[in-house]
Amino acid sequence: MSSVILNDITKFYGNIQIIYNFSNVFNDHEFITLLGPSGCGKTTLLRMVAGFEKPSSGEIKIGEKIVNSKNKFIPPEDRGIGMVFQSYAVWPHMNVFENVAYPLRIKKFSKNEINDRVKNILEAVHLLEYINRMPNELSGGQQQRVALARALVSEPGVLLLDEPLSNLDAKLREFMRFEIKEMQKKFGITVIYVTHDQNEAMAMSDRIIVLNAGKVQQVGTPLNIYNKPVNKFVADFVGRVNFLNATAEAENGIIKFADGQFIKYSGDKNKFKSGKIILAVRPENIEINNNSGMLRGKLINSYYLGDINDCRINIGNENNNDNNNNNILRVFLPGNTYGKINADSEIYLNFDDYIIFDGDNE
Amino acid sequence: MRKFFNLKFILIFLIVSFLIIFNVFPMSYLIFRSFFDSNNFSFSFDAFKRIYNYSLNWNALTNTLITAFFSMVFGLIIAFPLAWLIGRTNLYFKKFFRTLFVMTYMVPPYVGAMAWLRLLNPKVGTLNLFLAKIFNLSENPFNIYSLSGLIWVLTTFYYPYAFITISRAMEKMDPSFEEASRISGASPLKTLLNITLPIMLPSIVAAGLLVFISAASCYGIPSIIGAPGHIDTVTTRIIDYVYVGSAEGLTDATTLAVSLMIIANLVLYFSNFVCAKKNYITVSGKSVRPNIIDLGKWRIFFTVLVFIFALIVIVIPFASVIMTSFTKNLGKPLTASNFTWRYWNILFTRKGILETAVNSLISASVAATAGVIISCVMAWLLTRTNNKFKSVPDFLITLGSGTPSIVIALGLIMTMSGKFGINIYNTLFIMIVAYIIKYLLMGMRTITSAMNQIHFSLEEASLISGAGWFQSFKNITLPLIAPSVVAGWFLIFMPSFYELTMSTLLYSTDTKTIGYELFTYQTYHSQQTASAIATGILLLVIIINWILNKLTKGEFSI
Repeated sequence: MSSVILNDITKFYGNIQIIYNFSNVFNDHEFITLLGPSGCGKTTLLRMVAGFEKPSSGEIKIGEKIVNSKNKFIPPEDRGIGMVFQSYAVWPHMNVFENVAYPLRIKKFSKNEINDRVKNILEAVHLLEYINRMPNELSGGQQQRVALARALVSEPGVLLLDEPLSNLDAKLREFMRFEIKEMQKKFGITVIYVTHDQNEAMAMSDRIIVLNAGKVQQVGTPLNIYNKPVNKFVADFVGRVNFLNATAEAENGIIKFADGQFIKYSGDKNKFKSGKIILAVRPENIEINNNSGMLRGKLINSYYLGDINDCRINIGNENNNDNNNNNILRVFLPGNTYGKINADSEIYLNFDDYIIFDGDNE
Repeated sequence: MRKFFNLKFILIFLIVSFLIIFNVFPMSYLIFRSFFDSNNFSFSFDAFKRIYNYSLNWNALTNTLITAFFSMVFGLIIAFPLAWLIGRTNLYFKKFFRTLFVMTYMVPPYVGAMAWLRLLNPKVGTLNLFLAKIFNLSENPFNIYSLSGLIWVLTTFYYPYAFITISRAMEKMDPSFEEASRISGASPLKTLLNITLPIMLPSIVAAGLLVFISAASCYGIPSIIGAPGHIDTVTTRIIDYVYVGSAEGLTDATTLAVSLMIIANLVLYFSNFVCAKKNYITVSGKSVRPNIIDLGKWRIFFTVLVFIFALIVIVIPFASVIMTSFTKNLGKPLTASNFTWRYWNILFTRKGILETAVNSLISASVAATAGVIISCVMAWLLTRTNNKFKSVPDFLITLGSGTPSIVIALGLIMTMSGKFGINIYNTLFIMIVAYIIKYLLMGMRTITSAMNQIHFSLEEASLISGAGWFQSFKNITLPLIAPSVVAGWFLIFMPSFYELTMSTLLYSTDTKTIGYELFTYQTYHSQQTASAIATGILLLVIIINWILNKLTKGEFSI
């Protein structure tokens, strides 16, 4: 019904470039997340789709309609989309019913139709019993759902969400993730979701677009982004990661670490070239063994986090315990291993899932 | 902690005592005197009945209410669109317009009256003659000596009060409220009507009431414009009665003043305690980036409209005052042969004027300094302590500022001239006390809001480092609030310096103020000299504003 196409979008504030040539097609029914640190341009992109900001150049299409191009600009009210704001923006002078009915009243729906639709959508967000409450009588989570109901009530093809869960407490945030996802499935809409929270992005998205400093870093499924990050930024921003400076020796097929240990390279030989590299490995992808393994190390310290045992292991010289990215690895082990690893004896590490980045490009 | 409690208690006690002696007691005395017979202390409305049976007084009351009401309505009609255009759209020269309109706030109202008197005098008004000539009219179109003339001048001088209040509320409103409406399908105009206006309504009502009460308690404008047209207001009647000087005259003045006070306090109560409860706009530390609405093809049209408004309301009247100060013969236009420095010469040489200027300078400086000290203490009490009595001085200060100047002055005359053991009448001190009571709130609000911005953990970090609370205040808090302290000082100093209403009642031969001196020149001696004084005051306002802007690195200007 409604795809969103952004074509070569740039945005300047004065001389400062906020967005660099952004192009993407958000498919109908797709849940797209724009993920990145604050100031990366994700909210600006969203607001350009809504019509609250104009791109400096480029074209935006919603469905078949061009809403923004060099000589055309359709204002927000005529774009037929729904939006949920970070501050909810539930109007304080209207009760729940009036808030949700507003988009329908503006579009001149009949009284009966408004009544039916508002009741249906409030039922879907579990707020029917609060229909006559004023916003100041609602909790943050309830206001959030009023905002969601208001954005969905006129059945838009596209729903924009601007960090909608960032003001909620942790438990409620997790619950609302599933609520939003359910809504999307139920109404079959295209969702563009902006967040800086990688867990939110992973849990809900069909596709994630990772942004940094106005530039797209990677586009892909959550699985893809997490397991095959294309650069250090993505690997670091999504999930946790160890970066180890190392040297690749193509002729021997090995990767050498700072203090002399090495591992055999097991991937595609054609892509393996000699030189300085950075090896990225996630803490949960490392296993330990008491007798043998790819690398030898010693436990420096460990922290009990309940579900996991968060360990730091030195794979270099014993006396070199300060972490300069060369010899300390963070390893997540099951929680029940806490206290069972002897700090004095050597342990062995094994890992298969690792990624190699060029050592030069920072 | 015991010692701590005592200090707070002593501070509150000192401030409250000051306010009770110089504000609550005089007010109570006025009320007592107007409701109770002085001989047998029986309660009655006789004084009110008697005074309003006299049609002159009744007319004065209706005039006051009518002019204040229409000034409020017109003030809002002007202020809301202006605040919206300047705060929320891409109007050209927004910053310039903003400064211009806010500056009017600091100009003494009687300067406006002088200007419009010159411009719209029914016989020789410059603008009147000009318009009659252009449109080929048989007689002059406007007469300033009328009720509508009075409303016009009151409106042009009190709409900035509403403009500032509404602009601030608009800045604090979450722009997502409007964006949510746009995305729901509403046009900018519908959004303005359905969302912006209703959410801002409490602030708009409060702004309107502020204009109403300021216009109703104004003395300078009606005394200059009303007197020649025989249009009396409650304030001019009070002064007339006081000048009669007899005991009966004072009783009549008191009764009128109490009527004005009751109106003012009802308005104050409604505005502060009823409106504030319904206020949706919460003060958040987060600065909001407003959604700037593109006026599109209307952009130039609205800019021109605002420019014409500024021309009529600010440029022409001020230019007229400045030109008058250089005019030899007021019956003729200002040409090279009709130009003179004489009145500027008088301004800097005549002993009377210089003495009054010094009086005003001293009393305004003392009032501002004392006011800022009280404001700092109050800001500290309000934002940093949980003392349950701290709201008492806060309430009294709000009440004092909400009381019409003329009522404050009358109360002081009646009670502080020896009758009750204190005699400060005929001294500058009575003037200073009056200024503090009237203008303290401005300083207190400025400093308190600055204190609110400073998280108390900054002071706690100093305390934990081993500094005492006084050291912490001196080393941490004071430097951070310094710009607001400077701004607060000037906010009390400026209106005190050119004050007219209270000074008119409280002055003695040795303690005349510049405001009163200007008024005498305007009404009795020479409009040109008055205009030269007024221009001098205008210059001072502009210079102080500029200094303030530099001193606080652009954070504050009036």
